Amino acid sequence: MNALLALLLFPGGLFVMLNGLAYEWVDRKLVARMQNRLGPRWFQPLADVAKLLGKEEIVPRGADARWFNGLPIVALAAVLTAALYVPLLGILPSVGFAGDLIVTIYLLSVLTLCLALAGSLTSDRFGLLGATRTLTQLFSYEAPFLLALLGPAVVAGSWQIGTILNYASGQWLIVTQPIGFFIAVIGLMGKLELPPFDAPEAHTEIVAGALTEYSGRGLALFRLAKNVALVVGLTLIAGFYLGGIANAFEFVGKTLALLGVIVVLQVLFARLRIDQLVGMWWRVGALLALAQWLLLIGWKLWSAN
Amino acid sequence: MHNTQAEKFIVPMGPQHPALKEPGHFEFTLDGETVTHAGVRLGYVHRGIEKATEARTWVQNLYLLERICGICSHTHATAFVLGVEKLAGITAPPRAQAIRALIGEMERIHSHLLWLGVAAHEAGFDTLFMFSWRDRETIMDLLEEITGNRVNYSANVLGGVKYDVQEKHADALRRALDFLETRTEHYLEVVKNDEMFLRRTRGVGVMSRELAEAWGVVGPTARASGVARDVRVDAPYAGYVDFPARLILQTEGDLEARFSVRIQELFESYRLIRALLDHLPTGELVKTVPRRIKAGETVSRIEAPRGELFYFIKSNGGDKPERVHIRTPSICNMSSVLSLAVGHPLADVPMLLAGIDPCFSCNDRMVLLKQTARNGAHADEWTWEQLHQHGIEYYRKQKR
Repeated sequence: MNALLALLLFPGGLFVMLNGLAYEWVDRKLVARMQNRLGPRWFQPLADVAKLLGKEEIVPRGADARWFNGLPIVALAAVLTAALYVPLLGILPSVGFAGDLIVTIYLLSVLTLCLALAGSLTSDRFGLLGATRTLTQLFSYEAPFLLALLGPAVVAGSWQIGTILNYASGQWLIVTQPIGFFIAVIGLMGKLELPPFDAPEAHTEIVAGALTEYSGRGLALFRLAKNVALVVGLTLIAGFYLGGIANAFEFVGKTLALLGVIVVLQVLFARLRIDQLVGMWWRVGALLALAQWLLLIGWKLWSAN
Repeated sequence: MHNTQAEKFIVPMGPQHPALKEPGHFEFTLDGETVTHAGVRLGYVHRGIEKATEARTWVQNLYLLERICGICSHTHATAFVLGVEKLAGITAPPRAQAIRALIGEMERIHSHLLWLGVAAHEAGFDTLFMFSWRDRETIMDLLEEITGNRVNYSANVLGGVKYDVQEKHADALRRALDFLETRTEHYLEVVKNDEMFLRRTRGVGVMSRELAEAWGVVGPTARASGVARDVRVDAPYAGYVDFPARLILQTEGDLEARFSVRIQELFESYRLIRALLDHLPTGELVKTVPRRIKAGETVSRIEAPRGELFYFIKSNGGDKPERVHIRTPSICNMSSVLSLAVGHPLADVPMLLAGIDPCFSCNDRMVLLKQTARNGAHADEWTWEQLHQHGIEYYRKQKR
């Protein structure tokens, strides 16, 4: 009974979805205010999802209906599963195991893979281009993002989220690993395809990228999945780099502060081209992340002796 | 996807596409992300205005022609009245000529600010988009205050202008210009110094001076490539005779130059409006123009915000024109986009398209028929009966 509650209400299921919608509102509202716009009302993201869920889902000609309808569900399920392993509201996950950090990161990547598959399965040319770009972007940020989240794992000596959080709550790792923090934040923005890393869904070029053909339920589920991924990503980064998450108050404060950073980055820059993106990640991002990682391992070995 | 046509991957843009604010259809053949071929089909907003002018009186046509473009409505009316006045052998009073130039410059300001927003939006830089459009509202409000309308001001009448610029307008305008000047300085700084934005504009879509001249490019697009071409300077008209405009020229020919030319033209417009307000000639606003215009034909040229606007007007001595032909700047610049797009990544294409500040409603003056030989006629030589028959057949086919 408890397990069922945990899956449906907290920390999985309803809570994290509502949390995601609330954060989407914060994101949209802050971006709008910084751009001298009014921005949406507080219930707008929820209203969007409710409306989309009620709309007819049109399966385009040439697309397999089972895949077309199934992929959004898989994507949402994957990120909801990932939410089980992160300390939402400061409550340490009860289902953690050694190595759950890697599982969480890859569950987040399942979302991206589902997006790319959804785009390439439709015969739409914008969808196909979007899918290509989604995958290109995935390959460029994935390695640095993983390295950035493994940095705290290395110093904590464990690949279990709970253990890393215990270690990180004593100290703000952002001070000792600023590069890792920075890359993790940018990587999260890339994963969520937020501007300026929104080349995969650049609407002045390829309409809506991989999601061009989605109209009703599928679009709602994909959007929900992205919102959940936002919460999971923010929680991970805040927990690892910003001195851990001990209680609900810290959870809200730290994740919102991090969201604020992401909002500012979204407002400041023009969109990067996909080739510029890949170049930036591999020439700068990956190298920096790798350098810091090697440094950390060296320090670890040295201090062990 | 379908791979029927020899592995060609063609991305259609339009007639409905988020990058296009008006309908037009582009086809880009891609190799990966790189454009290898570009094609265009225009004519979705062809409204038959040139033909319609022949059924309306000279005065009615003023209002019709103003509706060709939703952004540079005043330039169309100005080009038309200047032509008609030339035919009638009348010169509008100096104050009217100055007010024509004044409103023309105000229109240039709102058009360039609008363009800045659209172009920034195409680059995914929505912050610049939102701010430049917010600032554009100041000039729109003033246009409304002076003429009563934000878009189709209909300030011109045959022989003069309808609205006077009073002292209260002048004060409000000067205050607005001070505000806009500081804002524009900021935008120029952003466009010239923002590293992320420069990645999307510097060295992109370079059009050399030779190419620009060969393609017959006009307006700010040409001036960004070092072609010194500005009707206000080359053949001053209306108020520009007494209040000369300065030519803004840049030689790089890339998107950055197109941005910077247009933004510097804003400063030039501010300067011109200040000069016009300070030395506005006194006197009457309108001279009487007869209902029938003397027979003859004339050409009238205007520097619209997008480049040279060309009017050919022919009168047979009646109260209606015999023929009005219009060539808008966007059609001159369109071919440069298609040629420049080849070799660029798809992501640059919306920027290149926005770079010429296209106006599709202005473009669509005529329909180009693709058929080579039909009804025994050559493609560009159709008799009235053949056209009539073609129309009947076309719509019968549509119904089916």
